[in-house]
Amino acid sequence: MMSGNTNKKNATRVVIVPCSGIGKTYGSVSREAAYDLIEDLRPETAQLVPLSLLVLGDQAARQAVSDSPSITIDGCKLACATKMVQESGGTVAHDFAVLDVYRRYRQFKPQGIAELNEGGEKLARALAEEAAEVVDQLIAGGKNG
Amino acid sequence: MTEFLETIVDKFTFRVATDRFYNSEGVWAKEENGRVRIGLSDFVQQRSGDVAFAEIKPIETILAFEDEVAMLETIKVNIAYSSPVSGKVVEVNPVMAEAPEAINQDPFGEGWLAVVEPLDWAADCERLLDPQAYFARMKTEAEEEAKK
Repeated sequence: MMSGNTNKKNATRVVIVPCSGIGKTYGSVSREAAYDLIEDLRPETAQLVPLSLLVLGDQAARQAVSDSPSITIDGCKLACATKMVQESGGTVAHDFAVLDVYRRYRQFKPQGIAELNEGGEKLARALAEEAAEVVDQLIAGGKNG
Repeated sequence: MTEFLETIVDKFTFRVATDRFYNSEGVWAKEENGRVRIGLSDFVQQRSGDVAFAEIKPIETILAFEDEVAMLETIKVNIAYSSPVSGKVVEVNPVMAEAPEAINQDPFGEGWLAVVEPLDWAADCERLLDPQAYFARMKTEAEEEAKK
């Protein structure tokens, strides 16, 4: 869901903030998707900012979300990643909820916590691919802006 | 307007609507002009977690008391729920196909599951818990869960 200004000018990087829900399957999916995105799909244009650093008020993390549009990936309806980016002065350009993504890919049922099952890995990849498209749109918007 | 019994266990608040009956699983049944609307209690939806998919028995299904009426897949579990009323399913909440999170958002209202034309509501009702009895049962279960 688009929930902020997606046309932040001069966006050359997009910040990715996943859920930090340790011990939760959907939290693991959100983090795995973020890793797929920054390590594999869009390493040049996507930057990971750990939610925990924002919670701790880390200056570099706050600066990162202030300087670039953010994509948040929330593991549950508490939406901690989205709320924390907003509280840190950042702009949430797009927020993904793992549950909503799963509803689109029911064949990929996630299970496991420390280690996701195959369904979880595939769901994370599908989420990462959707997020990669959003990254491209944001970067294109920045170049055009 | 619906009134509620309410309790706080640990950090969670649970409500029980007083205008309907409940089976032991926390499926509620509310008589409305000769038909019975059914759904899940607040405690059940909180304990089960966010609903990903809800599959309700289709219209025209004939249910015996305690027959499976719904299967929910949540972020935590897959779980089947029993009907608190015997009869024929005459309506299924259309919201369940696209937005089953209504169960979590409004379990006693917009998140209802189905409407049943009852075979013998008076007899079924005798086997259900009134709101006060369900409230006591739910509170005990919630307190036991909190100790885990």
